[in-house]
Amino acid sequence: MPELAVSSRSVPALAIDRLTYSYPRAARPALAGISMQLGAGEFALLAGRSACGKSTLLRAACGLVPHFHGGEISGGVSVAGLDAVACGPGELAGVVGYVAQDPETQVVSTTVAAEIELPLEMRGEPPASRARAVEEVALALAIPQLLDRTVDTLSGGEVQRVALAAALVTRPRLVLLDEPTSQLDPVAGDELIWLLRRLNEEWGVTILLAEHRLERCLAAADRVIAMDSGSIGFDGTPGDFLAWAGESDPALETPGARLFSLAGIDPLPTGVREARAALAREQSVEERAGGLAGARVASQGAPPPRKLQLSERVGGALRRQGPRATAPPAASIRDLWVELGSGDELRDVLRGVELKVRPGERIALMGRNGAGKSTLLRTAARLVQPVRGKAEVANGIALLTQNPTDFLVRERVEDELPGELGLAALQTVGLEHALDADPRDLSGGERQRLALAIVLAGREKEHQSLPGLIALDEPTRGMDRARKDELVRLIERLAADGAGVMVATHDVEFAATFAERVVLLGDGVVIADGDASEILSGGWYFATEVARILDVPGVVTPEQGAVFLGDGRAPRPQGEREAGD
Amino acid sequence: MRSPFAYTPRPGPLQEASPGAAVVYLGSLVVVTFLYSNPAVLLAAGIAAVLAGLIAGAREAVRAALWMGLTLAVLIVAVNALVVDRGQTVLLRLGEWPLLGRVDVTAEALAAGAVIGLRAAVAMVAFGVYSACVDPDRVLRSLRPIAGRSALTATLISRLVPVAAADAARLRDAGHLRGPAAAPLGRAALARRLLAGSLDRAVDVAATLELRGYGLNAPRAERARSRSRYDRRFYAVGVTLLVAAIAGLPLGVDDVGFYPTVEISIGGSTLALCVLLVVAGLAPLRRRPIRAASQAAPGVSRA
Repeated sequence: MPELAVSSRSVPALAIDRLTYSYPRAARPALAGISMQLGAGEFALLAGRSACGKSTLLRAACGLVPHFHGGEISGGVSVAGLDAVACGPGELAGVVGYVAQDPETQVVSTTVAAEIELPLEMRGEPPASRARAVEEVALALAIPQLLDRTVDTLSGGEVQRVALAAALVTRPRLVLLDEPTSQLDPVAGDELIWLLRRLNEEWGVTILLAEHRLERCLAAADRVIAMDSGSIGFDGTPGDFLAWAGESDPALETPGARLFSLAGIDPLPTGVREARAALAREQSVEERAGGLAGARVASQGAPPPRKLQLSERVGGALRRQGPRATAPPAASIRDLWVELGSGDELRDVLRGVELKVRPGERIALMGRNGAGKSTLLRTAARLVQPVRGKAEVANGIALLTQNPTDFLVRERVEDELPGELGLAALQTVGLEHALDADPRDLSGGERQRLALAIVLAGREKEHQSLPGLIALDEPTRGMDRARKDELVRLIERLAADGAGVMVATHDVEFAATFAERVVLLGDGVVIADGDASEILSGGWYFATEVARILDVPGVVTPEQGAVFLGDGRAPRPQGEREAGD
Repeated sequence: MRSPFAYTPRPGPLQEASPGAAVVYLGSLVVVTFLYSNPAVLLAAGIAAVLAGLIAGAREAVRAALWMGLTLAVLIVAVNALVVDRGQTVLLRLGEWPLLGRVDVTAEALAAGAVIGLRAAVAMVAFGVYSACVDPDRVLRSLRPIAGRSALTATLISRLVPVAAADAARLRDAGHLRGPAAAPLGRAALARRLLAGSLDRAVDVAATLELRGYGLNAPRAERARSRSRYDRRFYAVGVTLLVAAIAGLPLGVDDVGFYPTVEISIGGSTLALCVLLVVAGLAPLRRRPIRAASQAAPGVSRA
């Protein structure tokens, strides 16, 4: 029935008309006068700072707002011709799939097969069509091997795929995803984005994806909608979005766009491929580098002469490490073996890890989901007992775990941190002004700083200095770039005061901005340990966008890239700035 | 860390059986333990439950249930010995205790306590095997047409329990990590925070259920799976056990008394019931394929 197919595709997948919505008891609307349309088969990216209304818009498009959350709503939302304000989320679920940020609360069944089958069963589909749909969606998402597993044995990335499968199994016309990559490592994150692109191209599924790490998904998108304080600030192509972001909200710029912007190259690239093509057009990278790449190829592994010069010029880390190399380590991890699980499921999570952290050193601990990053930090903090080896930390360790709200149990900041020592801890993180505030009223970044103050409180008095090691586990989940920049400044301040700072993170761009050293874990073993600019430019997945564009050892940030491209308008790089300041 | 009682999909007759068949089979063992006080019968029921669990691959669940059950049994024995002053064979005179008065520990009270403890331990093992081997999704779905709201509540709870357990573990870790000058976590604050967090989680899980179409009044879906070929076996074993256990009562299989002296009769009918129980524990054995049987036939050397 070609006419039917054409007519169903002519109806917009999502049409929003002057939508204004306020959560119950909210002081101001979360969405204010939103109007937009999403055509069938589009892949749109929803950008914007934290708390700008992205999640609320997605929830309005799947019917959770207002049906589930209540509140006041005006205007219209139509999903594939269905009135989302009149229909409930259950009725809409046939035409729209929704994948939320937190994988833990997205699964309601015990086994993967049951989870994927559930929406079809709820619709009274016969067993044969259920079995076929489950099989097909599992094949499409490359998870047939998971079907017989229980959901509590899956990794974060696998749970996200299962949730996506459950959202897709009814073959909805529109799929909404709320920061689906925020808990995934770079490999799993990239896989998910390209999987969405494939579903969009091959199945014609319309995608609306809210994300903070735009560099990861901009190249896959046809369109970008940027939100600002509950309304739409920009709606257009990815290329136009980058130009808009450069002028209106630089926090939304991708590293590749910033590189081009600093180097004075137009147009701004939406992805690595486009950037490389543009650079090749302008002038080859090799020519600009004065034969660096050629020398690298010719030397076949031997460090090219320019590489050291470049590291000195833009990295600065080697030089900074000089005086510290003689200082006694702040933390020393020797032959650490950790076993987790029970019974038949015991497995070695850490296998003979050796690591030394110098005072004032800033280290990014990276690796795939399940590589052992969190276990390493938890063992150092004595939450986990090793089966062999030792983790010794001079002056103690302060560990901030993945969810800062776990530390916030009282209704006033001062109740969490009483007395002079509490005030001193708040001053350390710059929150001394918030004594009377309710922790729940603080912004996400402030809550994280408060949690850090809670783990630091009183340790300074014990040892007359900050703890030897301050460790943060995945601190940038759901953070926009402005908040990440705040965190970088805090980390730099703590390191400058003498603490070794180790951050477990999947965020390669964040690691490039704060770390001077990167430790890469793979299956419980340290597989790389070295200068951040070298590690983050020496691979594909654990490399920054700038490194992937330029493919030059030691060049990982837009500022370094701009210096490398030699435009002359670039600011001094981080290392030189620190050395000079 | 996974609970040892968490359901683990494995290929096996007990796992493949329909929930009804598994409930009848394991339930019959529990019913026997509550009908009988004869320690031989209880021991046989215990052996049957352990065998069933081991054959079904639920070794961790059996081990954990045994540990918990026997710990509970020891506690019951101790309490019974202290609070029951019947029995003629006084083993220990503990004098006057506050609230309890004069306490004499008798062999009869110890034996009676051991039987109650054994009963509790056997029931725990049977429940442990059920929990590790019977798919809760299938149970809930089979209940949904009968009691939709209850099934929804059960689904919500079954999902929230592990989530809340994980939250509690994280909060405890966060409590350990607080600096020495931060206000201590405290049980009340922990409980309050856990409750608030659970409510938030419940809202998220309920939203997911809503999105999956739980609120729809769709026609009841047909059964997804045909019955397992092992269903008949489990129904037959369960029903046989129940009939034998009920028939055994008037035949004097449970002629047991503890006070004033312990009297336990173990006759032919008792032994027969015990043998039947132990054999029932083999029900989860997989039927040997016909081809394999023919390969092992006499005259065929497998050198």
